[in-house]
Amino acid sequence: MRDKLIIGRSIDTGSWIHDLDPRAKLSAMLLYVVVIIMVSSWTGMALTALFSILVMYSTRISFRYYLKAMKPLRFLMLFIFIVQALTIKGGKALLTLGSFTLYSDGVETGMFSVARMALLVSFTAILTFTTTPGKLNLGLEGVLKPFKKVGMHPERLTLMISIALRFIPTILDETYKIMKAQSSRGADLKELPWKEKGRMLVSLLVPVTVNAFRRAQDLIHSMESRGFVINEPRTSLHSLTWARRDTGFLLLFVMLGAAVIVV
Amino acid sequence: MDRAEMHNKFGFLESDRHLSQEEQQIPALTFKEVSFSYHGQLSNIQSVSFTVPQGQWVTIVGSNGSGKSTLARLFNGLLMPDEGLIVTAGMELKPDYLPAIRRKVGMVFQNPDNQFVGSTVEEDIAFGLEGMCLPAQEIRKKVDLYAEQFGVSHLLKRHPSELSGGQKQRVALASVLAMEPEILVLDEASSMLDEQARRDLTETLQEMHCEGRYTILSITHDADEIMASERVLALREGAIIGDVSPDELFRDEELLSRCSLEAPFARKLVQELEARGLTKGQVRDEQELMDFLWSFN
Amino acid sequence: MVIQLDKVSFDYDARTPWANAALRHIDLGISAGEFIGVAGTTGSGKSTLLQLFNGIIKPTAGTVAVLDVVINAGQKTPKMREIRRRVGLVFQFPEQQMFEETVEKDICFGPMNFGASQEEAKQKALQAVLKMGLDPALLERSPFQLSGGQMRKAAIASVLAMEPDILVLDEPTATLDPVSRQELIRLLHTLCREEGRTIIMVTHRMDELLEAADRWVLLHKGECAFQGTARELAGRLDIMEQCGMAVPLPLACWSILSQRFNLGLEEPCLTPESLAERIAALGFTKTEGKAEDTPERNEEGLCATS
Repeated sequence: MRDKLIIGRSIDTGSWIHDLDPRAKLSAMLLYVVVIIMVSSWTGMALTALFSILVMYSTRISFRYYLKAMKPLRFLMLFIFIVQALTIKGGKALLTLGSFTLYSDGVETGMFSVARMALLVSFTAILTFTTTPGKLNLGLEGVLKPFKKVGMHPERLTLMISIALRFIPTILDETYKIMKAQSSRGADLKELPWKEKGRMLVSLLVPVTVNAFRRAQDLIHSMESRGFVINEPRTSLHSLTWARRDTGFLLLFVMLGAAVIVV
Repeated sequence: MDRAEMHNKFGFLESDRHLSQEEQQIPALTFKEVSFSYHGQLSNIQSVSFTVPQGQWVTIVGSNGSGKSTLARLFNGLLMPDEGLIVTAGMELKPDYLPAIRRKVGMVFQNPDNQFVGSTVEEDIAFGLEGMCLPAQEIRKKVDLYAEQFGVSHLLKRHPSELSGGQKQRVALASVLAMEPEILVLDEASSMLDEQARRDLTETLQEMHCEGRYTILSITHDADEIMASERVLALREGAIIGDVSPDELFRDEELLSRCSLEAPFARKLVQELEARGLTKGQVRDEQELMDFLWSFN
Repeated sequence: MVIQLDKVSFDYDARTPWANAALRHIDLGISAGEFIGVAGTTGSGKSTLLQLFNGIIKPTAGTVAVLDVVINAGQKTPKMREIRRRVGLVFQFPEQQMFEETVEKDICFGPMNFGASQEEAKQKALQAVLKMGLDPALLERSPFQLSGGQMRKAAIASVLAMEPDILVLDEPTATLDPVSRQELIRLLHTLCREEGRTIIMVTHRMDELLEAADRWVLLHKGECAFQGTARELAGRLDIMEQCGMAVPLPLACWSILSQRFNLGLEEPCLTPESLAERIAALGFTKTEGKAEDTPERNEEGLCATS
């Protein structure tokens, strides 16, 4: 279970991408999303893909991990492809089965959507692989700072995110363990009839929830005894410094955006 | 970790704090007729009174469910008493003083995973310091210093899932002690560790105690750790049923069974040997037991 | 042999940089009615090994034979249901897996999944509770109203109610107080001796299991570092040292005696009474001048205290 959730963990290879200011990476990510939405031609898509591959290469993290990060989403991608391929009509008729016809436009649009999604996921992976959750949070806090002026508390949000990122893998591991324990007691999800699956779910959700609450209680005690009070001012171990290369990194994305519009 | 090395590491910090005569008079912790109950339940802590002088190493023992953990959570106001008076590090336990009190009391809990706040070791050690609003360089300095002391320097960038239980508890200790508290409270901190990690932890506590900077209150079932401490408070059904030295505890069969404890093997063996007239009080610790086994005839 | 592992390896197939301890080339045979102690440091693969025994995980290389089922790596596995019932696996902190409103319902969950009627299941629950030394009145209570020790026993009863031939437990004594720990081990020992059930138990405190266990399996970094009796282990304490494990004091003491008086073939005395008795006897023989040549004192691999 843990290895399926590869996204959300950092892999330290010490590349220059790792050293970038998380704010730069987050803003770049935002620009990248815009580019992905704007891109409308296959040339543009190819350009974006090439760009992404270059960035992935610069992280010095094996491409295997990027593939792994995409793996959990393969069914969603397949689903999106099928829906679009089947519903969008236009272009050449590729295949006719009775009253149903598969059109080239549908297939093309489907493929385009899958490519978009794959790029987006792999880029999210770049962000999380190269940035420790702590730094990511700090970056997020920095990016969200303007909202403080309108009376919001970005640090509450970032605290929530950081705790979630820290504990979700633990809770998933535990869920997996409880699943194994219950299937050792004869409640195997695969072998049970449908009506029994509900019971199985209860046998899973009750202990998982109870344990999550216990964890939360422990965590609160641990944080409070280290003097934590919500909304009190805090400093940070990691201080962010914006360097010239961060600006450069962002500029690369602006250029990518411009290039995509032009082609 | 090498003992002499450990001594040095703790030793050079010693100059940080010199207790004045006056300071030494103030007990680290005072309980006066303290009672506490979780809402709607029977009383968990019943009229408990005791005083712990500064620098003492006290273990708190009792069977599962005797109220030990509840008691520990009253030390720094994670729980507030229903009745009675608690004075921690010279401050009465009141909501206003909580931040100050919590800086003086460091707590390490049982489950190594659930007290790991940061997503890396260094973030976890920094967590409390960030709350103290120290500047980044100072945090960095203390993180490095305390990571070094507890032998986790090489793990600073690691995620908790990559650490063993013993390593996580070391990080927990470093995180808490980086805030430089006066009182260290351990709530069954070694009970989820393997044997070797447990022995290492006891050894670390011994070093810390020798150095004299901390008052240590430790909840434990572990006979070796109890033996290493100076004083034992025995708890049963929320009341103190014994305030004795470890030696007295392990001599008192009745008290032992009332706290669901067992004497350590070495001690039982020595008793058996003495009963057979094979030794006469010359074997007092494990080392002497080993010496005896090597040399008796 | 009720369990036979033949060159078994297990890999978490995703080779992530955070991969857990896997198992490598494990050969292991366990006979019916044996009490096996499994030890090793954190991450040595203990929990993984246990999960092979009831087919919750399948070997990536080698062969696992459990009772009459053979699981070959890479082959399609037979139906696991019967094996799951006959090999009861108790995970760590089993009380944290309870979910029903009453203890009875929770204990009945297993038997009913394996086809018992409600009546039968209740009967089995009652028996299991009695075997675990619990008061049958607790059956009506919510699991969350029990004390820590009671809850642990009730959770073990919920596996015992499936009437397994082999009971496999992952650190069942962790976080219990010493008296509850001893009690639990005594109960397991009784199940083994009186009912002939095979018990396999992981512990991180070898001291507590030295008397009860027939044989020990020590794991280190996914490999089997030692297999054998406490007597054999007393002669190989260097292995424990290499595995980064603390040597239990009774074994360390016996090892000294064994070295001094050449007791290598004798069943070790590991309780305070029996050990003192043996020392008394040895002292007597010594005065008669029998065991004169004391071997050179060798502290390596002995007690870790300093």
